[in-house]
Amino acid sequence: MSWQGELNKYLAGAYKNWIISKRNVFTLFELFFWPLISLLSIGLMTTFLRLGEQMVSFLLVGAVALSVLQVAQIDVAYVLLFDMWSKSIKNTFTAPVRSYHLIFGSLIFGIVRGTVVFTILVTLCYFFFGFNFLEGGLIPVLIFLAGVFSVAAVIGITVCISILTFGQKADVAAWSLSGIIMLVSGIYYPIEVLPAPLEVIARLVPLTYFLEYYRSVFIPGQHNLAIGIILAISYLILGLVLFERSIEKARMTGMILRLSE
Amino acid sequence: MSEKAVDAQGICKSYKSIHGKQSIVLKNISLKIDQSEIFGLLGPNGSGKTTLISIFSTLIWPDRGSLRILGMDAKSNKETIRSQINISTGKSNFPWSLTVQENLKHYAMLYGMHGQQLAGTVDEVINAFELEEYREMKFEDLSTGLKQRLSLAKAMLNRPKLIFLDEPTAGLDPEIALKTRKLIRGIHKEQEIPVILSTHNMLEAEMLCDRLAFIRKGKIVALDTPDALKHQLKLGEKVIVHYVGKLEIKELEKLPGVLNIIASPGKVEIVVDRTNENLDSIIKKFAEVRILDIKIKEPDLEDVFIELAR
Ligand SMILES: Nc1ncnc2c1ncn2[C@@H]1O[C@H](COP(=O)(O)OP(=O)(O)OP(=O)(O)O)[C@@H](O)[C@H]1O
Ligand SMILES: [Mg+2]
Repeated sequence: MSWQGELNKYLAGAYKNWIISKRNVFTLFELFFWPLISLLSIGLMTTFLRLGEQMVSFLLVGAVALSVLQVAQIDVAYVLLFDMWSKSIKNTFTAPVRSYHLIFGSLIFGIVRGTVVFTILVTLCYFFFGFNFLEGGLIPVLIFLAGVFSVAAVIGITVCISILTFGQKADVAAWSLSGIIMLVSGIYYPIEVLPAPLEVIARLVPLTYFLEYYRSVFIPGQHNLAIGIILAISYLILGLVLFERSIEKARMTGMILRLSE
Repeated sequence: MSEKAVDAQGICKSYKSIHGKQSIVLKNISLKIDQSEIFGLLGPNGSGKTTLISIFSTLIWPDRGSLRILGMDAKSNKETIRSQINISTGKSNFPWSLTVQENLKHYAMLYGMHGQQLAGTVDEVINAFELEEYREMKFEDLSTGLKQRLSLAKAMLNRPKLIFLDEPTAGLDPEIALKTRKLIRGIHKEQEIPVILSTHNMLEAEMLCDRLAFIRKGKIVALDTPDALKHQLKLGEKVIVHYVGKLEIKELEKLPGVLNIIASPGKVEIVVDRTNENLDSIIKKFAEVRILDIKIKEPDLEDVFIELAR
C-alpha cells in the first residue's frame, strides 16, 4: 500500500469526526460554551478572591488545560462512540484497519479542536484577566499542549477499551475519567495538598508533570518534565497495545457484533 | 482460481452471556465454497447465519476450527484478507449524519484508497448503484431500500474478490427486493466474484444461489443445489384444494412436476415444482369434482425444516 493510502486510513477517522461534529449543534457547546463557562467562572473567582498574579496564572492554566483535555479526549473516544451510537461498528472492523489508525486519526481531529479551544481561551485570558499564556514563548506552550493531547489520547483509548470490553454502557467512562484526572493531576491546586494515597496516584499521571512544567514558566519552581514525557509515551504505547488486544478480544467474545445490533 | 473462496473445517463458536452462561452457536461447521459460486446460507432466526458470515469475513474469530479465505489462513493473513473482501448486511447502519457520498468516501479511506482513485471509485459505485440522486442525502434520511443499496455500494468500494451479504433483502418491499437480487446477480456475473449470502427467503435462495446450506441450531443439516434439495425434500409450491366429489388421486400423482401429494377427505395438497408449468394439467384433473376453494402456498422455511426434521 502506498503511503497516501496508509495515511488515509488514519485520516478516515478524522474525516468522519469532522463531518459529524460540523453537523452537530452540540459541537458548539463542546467548543465554546463549556470551556467559556469554566474559564469565566474560575477567572471571576480569582477576581473575587483578589488573588495575586501568580495564583491567577495557576488557576487559569488549570482551567484551560482541563477544557482542552476534555475536548481532545472526547474526540479520540468519538472514533468508537460514533460508530457505537450509529451501530456501524461492524463496518469499521471488517475494514483492514488497526488500533493505531483509529486512535491517531481521531487524535488529529482532537488536536485541531483542542487547539481551537486553546486559542479562544488564551485570547480571553489575555483580554479579561490580563494573563498572557505566551509569556514564556511558543516552545513551553507546544510542550504543554503535547502533554495535554497525549493524556487526552490515553483517556480516549481507555474509553474505547471499556466499550469493547464492557459494551454499550461503558461510555459513562468517557465522562468520568476526565473528572478523576481533574481531581488528582493538580488542575486547581498543587498535588501536595492531596491526601497521601492520592498524591501517589497524581505522581503517576503525566498531566501532573506537564502542568508543573508549564506553570514553572510563570511561577518559578521545580518540575520533572522528563518523567511526564516518559510516562505519557509509556501510557500511549501501553494503551495502544491494550486497545489492539481488546479489539481481538471483542472479536472473540462477539462484542463487536453485539455493539452493531 | 483453484483456491476455494472459503475453506472452513470444524468451525465452532460459542458466546458467553453477561452472567457467564455459555451458549454454543456453531457446531463443527465444515464448508468449502468455490470461487464461481453464489452460495446461500438458509436457516431460521438464531440458527447462526450471521455468526458464520461474521467468522468468514474475519469480523469475529471462531473458538475452534481452521479457516482459509481465498486460499489464505484467516488468522495469519487477516489484513490482506480484509482488504480483499467486503460485507454488506441487510439492516446495515452507517454514521447517520454523513451523506451517501461522505459515507462512501469515509469507508474508501478506511480501505486505504486515496486521491483520484478514491474519488473515481466513489463516483463509480454511486453510478452503479443508482445513488446519484441521493448523493447529498444524509444516511438517516434514506429509505430502507436506499440504505441497503448504499450498503451494497460500500461493499464494492475495495473491488473485493469475495463478498458476503447478510440478509441483503431484509425489510425490502417485493419490487425493491427483486431489484436488489438482480443487482447481486449482476455483481457476481460482471465482477466474477463469489458471493456468500444468508437469507430467510426460499425464493431468493432459489433465484440466486448455486448451492445452499441449511443451518439449524448451529449445524449444517443439508447442503446442495436448490433443485437437488427441492427434489430431495420434495419441496415446491403447494396447491391446496378443497372439493366435493370423487377425485382420482392416483392420476394426479402421475402428472409431471408433481412432487408429493397429501390427501384427506375433501382436501388435497399437491406439492408441485414451481419451475414446471403444470398448473393447467393439474386443474384439469378436477373437472369432475366441485371445487370449493383453491390456495397456492409457496414453499417456505417452515416446510423445509419440517422436511429436514423427518
Ligand atoms: N454477539 C453476540 N453475543 C452473544 N450472543 C449472540 C451474539 N450474536 C448472536 N448471538 C446469539 O447466537 C445465536 C445465533 O445468532 P445469529 O445472529 O448468528 O443467528 P442468525 O441465523 O443470523 O439469526 P437471524 O435470522 O435472526 O439473523 C442466537 O441465539 C443469538 O442470540
Ligand atoms: Mg442474522
